[in-house]
Amino acid sequence: MSLENPRRLYPAFILLGAAVCILVAAAYYRDEFRQWKDIQRQFIREEMRRASTPQQRLLARNIPVQIRQVVLPELRRVDRCTTCHMAVEDPSYGGFPQPLAYHPLHDQHPFERFGCTVCHRGQGHATTTADAHGHVPYWDQPMLPLRYIQASCGQCHEAADNPAAPELARGEQVFESNGCRGCHKLGGVGGVIGPELDRVGGRRSADWLMAHFRSPASVTPDSAMPPQKFSQADLEAITLFMLSQTGASMTGFYTSMKVVPSAAQGRHLFQQKGCIGCHSLGGKGGSIGPALDDVGMRRAPEWIMRHFRDPQSVTPGSVMPKFGFNESEVLALTEFLLHLRDQNLALSLPSLMSPVERGKEIFRKFGCAGCHGQDGKGGVPNPNAKTGEQVPALLHVADGYTREELVKFITMGRHQVDALDAKRPAPPLYMPAWGAVIEPAEMADLASYIFSLKPKGDDLGF
Amino acid sequence: MKAWKWFEGSRVGRSVFRVGIPRSNLERAQAMVSSFLLHVQPAKVNRRTLRPATTLGLGLISLYLLGILTVTGILLMFYYVPATDRAYDAMKDLQYVVSAGLVIRNMHRWAAHLMVLFVMLHLCRVFYTGAYKRPREFNWLVGIALFLLTLGLSFTGYLLPWDQLAFWAITVGANIAAYAPVVGPELKFLILGGNSVGQEALIRFYTLHVIVLPALMAFMVSVHLWRVRKDGGLARPEEGADRLERIDVEHLPTNKSYGLMELTRSTSLQVGKNPEDEVFSWPHLVFREMLLLLAVIAVVLFLAVFWNAPLEEVANAIHPPNPAKAPWYFLGLQELVSYSAFWGGVVAPAVLVTALVMLPYLDRQAVGAGRWFARERRLANTVFTIFLIIAVVLTVIGSVFRGPNWGWVKPWAQPPAVTEGH
Repeated sequence: MSLENPRRLYPAFILLGAAVCILVAAAYYRDEFRQWKDIQRQFIREEMRRASTPQQRLLARNIPVQIRQVVLPELRRVDRCTTCHMAVEDPSYGGFPQPLAYHPLHDQHPFERFGCTVCHRGQGHATTTADAHGHVPYWDQPMLPLRYIQASCGQCHEAADNPAAPELARGEQVFESNGCRGCHKLGGVGGVIGPELDRVGGRRSADWLMAHFRSPASVTPDSAMPPQKFSQADLEAITLFMLSQTGASMTGFYTSMKVVPSAAQGRHLFQQKGCIGCHSLGGKGGSIGPALDDVGMRRAPEWIMRHFRDPQSVTPGSVMPKFGFNESEVLALTEFLLHLRDQNLALSLPSLMSPVERGKEIFRKFGCAGCHGQDGKGGVPNPNAKTGEQVPALLHVADGYTREELVKFITMGRHQVDALDAKRPAPPLYMPAWGAVIEPAEMADLASYIFSLKPKGDDLGF
Repeated sequence: MKAWKWFEGSRVGRSVFRVGIPRSNLERAQAMVSSFLLHVQPAKVNRRTLRPATTLGLGLISLYLLGILTVTGILLMFYYVPATDRAYDAMKDLQYVVSAGLVIRNMHRWAAHLMVLFVMLHLCRVFYTGAYKRPREFNWLVGIALFLLTLGLSFTGYLLPWDQLAFWAITVGANIAAYAPVVGPELKFLILGGNSVGQEALIRFYTLHVIVLPALMAFMVSVHLWRVRKDGGLARPEEGADRLERIDVEHLPTNKSYGLMELTRSTSLQVGKNPEDEVFSWPHLVFREMLLLLAVIAVVLFLAVFWNAPLEEVANAIHPPNPAKAPWYFLGLQELVSYSAFWGGVVAPAVLVTALVMLPYLDRQAVGAGRWFARERRLANTVFTIFLIIAVVLTVIGSVFRGPNWGWVKPWAQPPAVTEGH
């Protein structure tokens, strides 16, 4: 019987042996022939084409085909983007089609120090286009669309007064002036009706955020948030600002970026150290020292900095004490003085403002407008609320409350909002208790502001 | 060929290969005995052994998969770092920059799943052919131990990639262990080295996966194979029940100098039998085994080349996937646990393992050994099949019919639009 004849098995040996060989070859092919190698060869060809001398040609030919990577232990990142994007540092590739284009404006963020993904996101480990750009399953950090790239500046730098990131600054302004904080906490400050936003930028995509702002319920079915009526530019700006809130904690060298001296910090210091006691801004303040409105134009930055370090060294006989500022404080204060041309910055010093102005600032800071409307004019929907299915406007608060009652109301909040129809779901928006958040002095200013909202000559005559 | 013949005849060649390629029956027998790798098997085997239907080669396939797992596993160890902040990066490096890293990891993953599957199938085969009966009761026990070791190896390996899949599968698995009465919470603490999956669990699982369990496995496999020999090879039908056709073969020499090598304690071996029932292991058995090895390598390679091993996001203890599922071979258990933690998570597996261990001592009837679905074993086979079907159905339900919050989903229906993020 054939069972006895081992030769009968030979075809099976040949067949299976061939199958194993083919599969090994396939495995080798998959491993050996990779997209990035073709791209590197394309780069070498381009270099060869550009070479004009034999030496240059030799150099070009000897460019090795290999993985290139930036290892960033402090950021816990390995960025292999330069494996394909080989010309990022070569200006002669400006305007060259990707992946071999030059990356402009990297002087202050050298690739060997920052890598790529810390700003652009994507998957630094990966060496194929789809995986590296991150629009693949199980990678939740796809590349940030270029028009939102300024969001990444916000990871290290202050959003405000960053001249290189105007969209980010605008986004922050939209956030603050539209009262988002009334419901959402950011950086520990804000209301409790909506979720905290400290990490939202790492979890949500630009498209999601856009859709959410236009119609929150379309992406979060039971959202209490009213639809926002932003202009297209504002919508993109606040989306960008939200994307910047990744909650990423930078370490070591990168942390120092966070305290890049800014005019806003300078303003804070100026206020805190009581400079206004001697100097004046916009006609308000002390008269012992000179007015500072135009000091940024009169003096060179170096002069101002030396002055802060040691006033007598540049102005002999000056009575200004040596405050002992550290270097970053000196920079921040100088920055502030240089920015005084921007009148808003100077005039928004709280000590220079009237209680009503300060109250308006507090109204803005804690996002009251998010529910009560710009300038307390109301109009924000709160389905099934007894008050016309809207959050009440604040124009006539002065008629119904004494100052003490108002402060008490804001302090305690009101968690149960009367429903129009008991059968329908309860109104989603309510008044949180702000007592733990808004300080007593601020509360008094806020009350002054709200009382000031009553239209002139509109006395109802109670 | 000529060079080989010269080498074979040379002093060195003879010292290594002793017999060389056998040309006579004497040399065929000597080839088996003088080779370390081949001596595990007898010089001659019953013709039944060669027929694929006898065992389907399930045990040998499991052994080959274990071999593939050992080789690929050692290669992976060169790159893997069992630290929570580096393990996942190592996976990514394997995929993107290590030469052949991806295919080796894929082979390891698919071979591991296949091994669990084939060990289970092997267990079923042994049951349905009644091959656990006297004198093979103890080897059945060793087999159960190997089955549990296989599950243990697979389970400990599951955590190592340190992605969401790994993290939450192990969390679910450890929670099932915690349902055991009295010692449950302690047991979970012992497994994880803490109350939740973290660095301690990772290093524990790693050490178990690369040292402790493989060493146990190697020892138990040796015992398992040795016992197969000592118990007289494959279980064979009792006298008269052998329905194998007697076939005329070429005349065999009657001076069986190899006969001594076949002496064992067993009564079921070829002693006193017609030499026509036997063939030489070389080449008949060995060639078939080599063919099977090629086939196993081909299948594993095929899977590894065309399907990547899963790797999800890096493990995140704050964002559990919904539902978090255990590895597939525990999904039947998880499904049971969803009805009752105690009955499903403790009683069912305990009863199952106890029943498997007791089986050869409860079922003492000698008839029906060595035949598939023997009539005399109808009751045993029916009970086993019912349990098997229940296990398969539960596993299938747990795998594909369970969605968020362990609720029913229809796998063929369009999955609901998942809102992005967590």
